[in-house]
Amino acid sequence: MEKYVLVTGASSGIGKSVAISLSENYPVILHGRNLDRLNEVKNICSLHNKCLVWQEDLVQVEKLEEHLQHFLLENEVIIEGYVHCAGLMKMLPLRSQSLINIQETFNTNVVSAMLITKVLSSKKWNKGGLRSIVYISSNISNRGAKAFNVYASSKGALDAFMRSMAVELAPNVRVNSILPGAVFTDMTMDIFANKEVEERMKATYPLGFGHPQDIADGVNFLLSEKARWITGQQLVIDGGRTVDITG
Amino acid sequence: MENFLEQIAELLEVDVVNEADELKSFEAWDSLTILSIIAMANENYGVVLNAAEINGANTIAGLWSLIESKKA
Ligand SMILES: NC(=O)c1ccc[n+]([C@@H]2O[C@H](COP(=O)([O-])OP(=O)(O)OC[C@H]3O[C@@H](n4cnc5c(N)ncnc54)[C@H](OP(=O)(O)O)[C@@H]3O)[C@@H](O)[C@H]2O)c1
Repeated sequence: MEKYVLVTGASSGIGKSVAISLSENYPVILHGRNLDRLNEVKNICSLHNKCLVWQEDLVQVEKLEEHLQHFLLENEVIIEGYVHCAGLMKMLPLRSQSLINIQETFNTNVVSAMLITKVLSSKKWNKGGLRSIVYISSNISNRGAKAFNVYASSKGALDAFMRSMAVELAPNVRVNSILPGAVFTDMTMDIFANKEVEERMKATYPLGFGHPQDIADGVNFLLSEKARWITGQQLVIDGGRTVDITG
Repeated sequence: MENFLEQIAELLEVDVVNEADELKSFEAWDSLTILSIIAMANENYGVVLNAAEINGANTIAGLWSLIESKKA
């Protein structure tokens, strides 16, 4: 059975860049909801390695375990690396949040990652093949900002889960997360569309804004043997944004 | 329009709003309220607004015409 890296949210932004970059070194499974977008990414991925597509809506978590188990069996694959890039961010003050939005955000950002990790770390379904996990969190995880209430707490939960899994799954599986700062993608398009906000934010990034490839480089490192003694860590990749306390 | 007036009053944290009221005159008028209006317009009327357009609408009635014009 061939060993793959699963990238959720591979149809756009950071996940797309991660998948394309990993495809140079590993067979990859591209996950997302939109088949057309996934096939476009598949066409850009390296021809050196195999590439599969897994279509699944991560808001619908009831059947998620079952669907992933079925996918593994049907395609006869083992997953050695798992990168959770899928994410949902709705910036709203708490007074405008709804239960639905809270549940959709947590299902996409946290609950699905828990259930996928559960299936992939099971001997029965993945033959003990899993070696490394990278969750894409956010630099908001350890901080706070207006309108980030639900999103920030979902990333905080993801990082707390990461640390416990690093301990629970050691020494076979290393588990880490990456905390990106602002990167140009579909998710942040609306924020960057406002020139005034863009300029204001830019002033707070010592190295300027990031690109999806900056995050993909971090993922490559954490998945590789070069990171063999690193587990349970949050790797902040944010151009210095969260260490800058210049007044 | 009646529904809209109720929705916008809730976002602005007041009991009632009038069409002629200026957006900037409300105590709750800030960047967070603008985010809420963007989400409300998208969810209830299927239109995509940005902060500059909302600020440019000036009044409650202006905001309603903005949404109506986008619906067309
Ligand atoms: N961009 C930034 O500045 C930034 C900063 C910090 C952290 N992050 C994190 O980085 C990750 C990637 O963000 P991005 O900026 O690349 O966002 P993006 O361009 O909006 O991509 C989001 C990805 O998640 C997938 N997704 C969303 N909801 C899903 C669902 N219900 N089921 C399955 N897939 C779903 C989307 O797939 P579909 O094709 O199905 O829509 C898409 O591939 C997220 O976890 C985000 O929180 C981003």
